[in-house]
This record gives sequence, structure tokens and C-alpha cells, in this order.
Amino acid sequence: MSRATDPQGTEELLQQEVERLRARLAALEDELLEVQAQANDAVAEWQDRAYWLDRWHLDLNALMERPVAGRVRALLRAVRTPLRMMRIAIRAIRS
Amino acid sequence: MTTNTPRSRVSVVIPVKDGERYLGELLRALEREGPEEVIVIDSGSRDRSLEIARAAGAVVLEVEPSEFGHGRTRNLGAERSSGELIAFLTQDATPCPGWLDAYREAFTLDEHVGAAYGPHLPRPDTSPMIARELTEFFATFTPDGRPVVQRLGDPTFHANVNACYARACWEELRFRDLEYSEDQAFGADLLKAGWTKVYHPGAAVLHAHDYGPLEFMKRYFDEYRGLRSSIGHVETIGVRSTVRDVRALVGHDIRWMGERDYPTRERMRWAARSATHHSGRKLFSALGSRAETLPPGLRRRLSFEGSDYAPSSNGHAHDAPGEVHRLPLSPQPARIPAHEYEPIARVLADGPAPLSDPIPGMADRERLHLAFVIPPFSEGSGGHNIIFQLIARLERAGHTCSIWVDDPLSHRAHEWPAVVRAGVREHFADVRAPVYKDLQHWYGADVVVATGWQTVYPALSLENVRARAYLVNDHEPDFYPTSVEATWAAETYRLGLYGICGSPWLQQLYVERYGGAAEVFDYGVDHDIYHRHAVERSAGTVVYYSRSTTPRRAVALGVMALHELHRRRADVRIVMFGERYPLPTPFPYDHIGVASPEQLALLFSEATVGLSLSMTNYSLIPQEMLACGLPCVDLQGASAESVFGSDGPVELSRFDPAELAGHIQRLLEDAALWERRSEAGVEFVRGRTWDHAAEQVEHALRSALRERETAPRESL
Repeated sequence: MSRATDPQGTEELLQQEVERLRARLAALEDELLEVQAQANDAVAEWQDRAYWLDRWHLDLNALMERPVAGRVRALLRAVRTPLRMMRIAIRAIRS
Repeated sequence: MTTNTPRSRVSVVIPVKDGERYLGELLRALEREGPEEVIVIDSGSRDRSLEIARAAGAVVLEVEPSEFGHGRTRNLGAERSSGELIAFLTQDATPCPGWLDAYREAFTLDEHVGAAYGPHLPRPDTSPMIARELTEFFATFTPDGRPVVQRLGDPTFHANVNACYARACWEELRFRDLEYSEDQAFGADLLKAGWTKVYHPGAAVLHAHDYGPLEFMKRYFDEYRGLRSSIGHVETIGVRSTVRDVRALVGHDIRWMGERDYPTRERMRWAARSATHHSGRKLFSALGSRAETLPPGLRRRLSFEGSDYAPSSNGHAHDAPGEVHRLPLSPQPARIPAHEYEPIARVLADGPAPLSDPIPGMADRERLHLAFVIPPFSEGSGGHNIIFQLIARLERAGHTCSIWVDDPLSHRAHEWPAVVRAGVREHFADVRAPVYKDLQHWYGADVVVATGWQTVYPALSLENVRARAYLVNDHEPDFYPTSVEATWAAETYRLGLYGICGSPWLQQLYVERYGGAAEVFDYGVDHDIYHRHAVERSAGTVVYYSRSTTPRRAVALGVMALHELHRRRADVRIVMFGERYPLPTPFPYDHIGVASPEQLALLFSEATVGLSLSMTNYSLIPQEMLACGLPCVDLQGASAESVFGSDGPVELSRFDPAELAGHIQRLLEDAALWERRSEAGVEFVRGRTWDHAAEQVEHALRSALRERETAPRESL
């Protein structure tokens, strides 16, 4: 009702809304920048850690997805169980 | 196009590594043929090759084994040679009598002859498979045994085992920096560029690659890997076709031996070897042309040269199918690769990507996200040093930066991102930014900054960007002769990026010639390194930045000036730096090579006068000299006045060797002038820090954003 009867009030309300949206936009922009900065830092940190993998052109994910790697992992798992049992047995005998 | 005559001067260049077996024989044959100059480039021989070359009177250049590249090293040899014709031989190719006369004649057969090549004859002990192949292969070029001029559409085959080039042609095209087959690439490039080449049967060499069966296979792996890289050839392989081809080739070999009366026992022995040879060749050539699909360790093991290089998966095809004369085994149509200028074509066809809508106040936000698109680089690149110094300071000012290496031809594909980033931090500046090597991962920025003309076009294709800026460190169209590259480089200044220029001269060009908006920043100096060190200053030492691989450095002019200076003042010690290999000069000098910043700071603190010439924008070197209290001489007429003033800390000379020598001499002999220039220099660079440069760049980046905020809506 007041909108129709009070153009000045409407203008003020609109102005306030614009200001609020601007403030919200600025806050979102800051948030985005903060996220980008953190993402950049994370990528940079992982690049520091991945130096030797990159230096030797090793893509571990691609390597481990190969069938041979699957067989090697299965073999290791198969060997690991008896080794673990043997270790437990030795420990038991020693104690 | 060419002015070569039967009397043209000929330089012969021979790359060598452990080549003592045939090198003596080769050099004796050259002595008989009589070229004007013989240059041997050794890349780490551990046998008597160097001794043999020196004893024969050859000019010997030594390069580190890691520096060797088939194209790169041959370019070095050509640069160091002086002949109008430059012949290349491999260390096991012995010229036959009449070789040199045949080459001289070849270059008179057509006015556009850019290169010539001759046959490779088998040595007496060469295996019949290789002897047959060589003989039959070269016979296909000239059925009547006369020299043949080859033009566009003729076979592109060309081999640096035994080839000769007109200097003008080599200077125009140069060998590509390929792991292998740089000669094949040159053969194709040459014909496309409008030159012709000549096959001259008289320019023959004795040559054969006779190795054990496994070595042969590894060589084929290297050769076909190189062909994939240079011309895009992919060798087909299948069980039936391989059996068919091998059977046919073994049959040819047996017939060949029969025609030459090989004893039956020998024929049987070679037939078995022939079957192994051709089967292995088929397999290894197929593997070589698919090397990029193999793991690096396996590539290294399969390679005769022990290299794990892999051509990019899209190859670099340059020829139509079947043009490659070298491939007797069912050539495949070459694949057409994504071409070098695809980003340009994309921008020309589709226009730049739309910019994100501006947000009020975005130019004044405390922190910005800045993305730098940079060309590939290697250690010691001055332009990249400027970029990384600025990024490190912008980060310290609170901005978030990311670095995007644009390498469309995969020249440095072997360097993965973490390695590139470690290299930046080790050799340039301590940046925090991550490094990306693929623009596919692009995730937006407030401002994207192009840093070289080639990077402008990919930068224009990036979305989710509020403004685009252009860090201009030189007027890059000047790097090229009249060409497509020169035109496209110039065009980048008109594409609406906000210029951030490395000198007032560049800014003036950007604004007045190209109609862009731009600001200037001053190059910084690392004052921790470059300052007056506590060492005694010599009374007569001239230090010269003789970077001959950079044409805009006017090294020929600098050498002429120093020659004149030496004529006037033979007592003056001349020191040259900036180039890995010593330059031939008519005066004595000390060669420092590529020195570290710390070594240079000491050198500048000890020397009397510095000489650093630039025909385009000024560089960091004069400032670094000035910071060490060393007055220096540069060329007037370009950017130097815009930075140093016409009578500032730097002595400016016209483009004249005698006048340059005069300016150096004045500084050597006029103590008052020296003192004035030295003090003015130290004062000049006092405020030139990278922090200050980064503040100027930040201001310009904010201006780029502000320009978007205030631009009329329809132009956004």
C-alpha cells in the first residue's frame, strides 16, 4: 500500500535493497577469493609433495589401475597374511 | 634467392661422440676434398676423437652430452661456421673423391637451391640387407644417374648423414630442435618455403650403420619415433602384412646376394640374419612411431640413444601421405595435427570469450586473484625472471596468483607441473602460486595477464575473467622478419588488453601506434646481489654482454666496436659473458660464459666499463651494471633514452662501431666522466626495486579492472 502512496519511501527501500545486495555480493566475492586462495595453496602444497613423482613421470593412479598392479597387490596381500601370522607366532614363542 | 657459385666457400660441420673408428679416415678425405673450414662438435667423447680432430686441424667445439640435440647442435655448428655453403657429415660418413665439387655444382643447378644431398654407399663389410637397401633406395632418385632438382611435391627425403645447405636457406629455416629426424623436417620445410633441393649422385659418402641385430632394432625405434615427431608418420603393423613384407624383403636380399656371388654358406647365414633384421625392424619401427604409449623406462630401454623422449600423441605431420621416400614398408597416411596457431585461429573465428560482468568496487578490493599465462621457459630467461619477481611481490602484497604455462607444441611436455614450479622457485623467485600446464583446468580470475604475444590468444579464450592485461616486456614484432608471426604479434597490441609496459618507449608504442591503454613499470634490481662489492676496481677492463643467440643484442656490432677499441687500446682487458660458447673474435678476450648473478655482481664491481646493447627494449643488464657502480654503454635511438635520459647514467652511442669504441674509450680515460656516470648510475637504480615494480604493476591491474567498471555497458 505504502509503495503506491509513498514514492520516496519506495526509492529508499530499493536503495537499501541494492546496498544489501551489494554488500552480500562483496561478501560472496571475498568468500570466493578466500576459497580460491585456499585451493591454490592446497594445489601448491601438493605440487611440492609430488615433485619426485612428477620428476620421474610417475602417475601412481594410472600405474595402480593396470592389471599387473592388481596382480602385484593381490600377491602382496597373499604374502602379507602368512607373514603376519608367522610374526605373531614368533612373538608368541619368544614370550 | 641464392648467389652460390662453383667457388663458394664451404664449411663442413661434423657432430662427434666416440667416433674414432672412422673419424681419421673422414678427416683425411676432407683434406683431399679441400673445404675452407672443418668444425667438429664433440659431445663428450671418451675415446680419441678429440685428439684426432685437433691433429687434423679441425676447429673443435665441445658441448655437454646433455646439451646435445640433433637440430640444436647442428644449428650451433652452422652459427660458428663462415662458409656460404654448410655441409654436414656424420662421424662415420667418409666422402668419396669428387664429393665437394659435386656439392658446389649442385648449388648452381637452380637459382633457388637451398640444400643438396648425396648417396650413402655401403662399405665393403656392410651387411647385404643394408647394402641392398642403400643402393636401391638412392637409385630411385635418379634413374639416369644425373643430378636431380627436387621441388615442392617431390620426395622430401633429406639426410644430415651427408648434406649441404646454402647459408641463406639455413638462416631462414634453421633445424628444428627435435630429438631425431631434424633433417627430414628441414627437407619438408625447405620445399614448402619455396626453396629447391638437389640430389647429386656425385656427392657420395661411404656410410653404413652396421650394428648387431638388437642395436639395429633400437635404431629403428629411434628413427621412427623421430619420424612420428617430425612428419607424423605412424608405421602400420599386423601379423599377415608383417609376414608378407618380411618374406618379400628376405627374398630380395637372397637375390641380391645371388647376383653378387655370395658363397652358399654365407647366403644361408645372411638369410637368417635378414629375417631377424626385417622382423625386428617392423616391430621396433611400429613401437617407435607409437612411443608415446609406452612407459618412459621402456622407451629408454628400446632406444639406441637411451632417450625416453616421446612425441606428442598428435604428432607433427607436415607432408602428404607417401611423400616420405625413406619408408619402404607400407607408409601410413600422416595424421594432421592440431597446428601451432590453433589458439589464434580460434580467436579469429569465434572472437574473444566474453568477460564476466564488472562488479562495482572490484578494482579497489584489497585482494585480487591474478592469473598469469606464460610461455614455456628455461633457466636464465630474463623475461621470465621479471614475471616471477613480480608474482612473488604481488603475492606478498596479499593477492592470490596462479601460473599457467601455455605450451601448444609440447616443447617442454617432459616437465610436469611440480617440476616446473620447483624450477621457478629454485632459479627465479620464491612464488607460492601453483603451476598449471593445461588451460583445460582453468577456473577463472579477476585479471588474466598475458605475458608474451603467443599467450595473448589463449588468454583471450579464457572465460570467467573480469579484465585482461598484457605484461609487455619487448616489442615482439621486431623479433621477426616480415612474416605471419610479426603481423600476429603486432595484432596482439590492438586486442583491447590493458598494457603494462616495461618502459616508457613501449608504452608510447602501445598507446600511439596501436591505440591501446597502458601504464609503465620500472624493472627492479636485486640490490642484495647487485651492489658495489668490496673489491678493487680495475683500471682497464671492459665487460661485454655478448649474447649472440639473441639477434636484437647486436653482437656483430659489439664485436666490431671492441675490435676497434682493441686496435686503439691493446692494453684493455675484454671480458665477454652471456653466451655458453666462446665467439670467434679478431681480438683476445676472457670468456666467462653464462655466469650466476653473484659472479656477475663481482665482475661488475671489478670492471671499468660495461657494454650491453639492445636494439629493442632495454634489459636488466645495464641496471645491474649501474647498481655495481659500473658505467655502461648502450645504443641510442630506441628505448634507452626513455628510461635513462639522453645524458643520464648510461653513455648512449649511435649505431656505429667506431663511435661505440669512442664512448667506451672516453669512460676508460676520462676519470671525471667515469665518476659522474658511476654515481649517477648508483643513484638511478636506488629506487628501482622489485617491490616498487610490483606496486606499479598492481596499480595497472587495478586500472584494468576500473576501466571495465567505467566502460559503457554496450562495450562490456
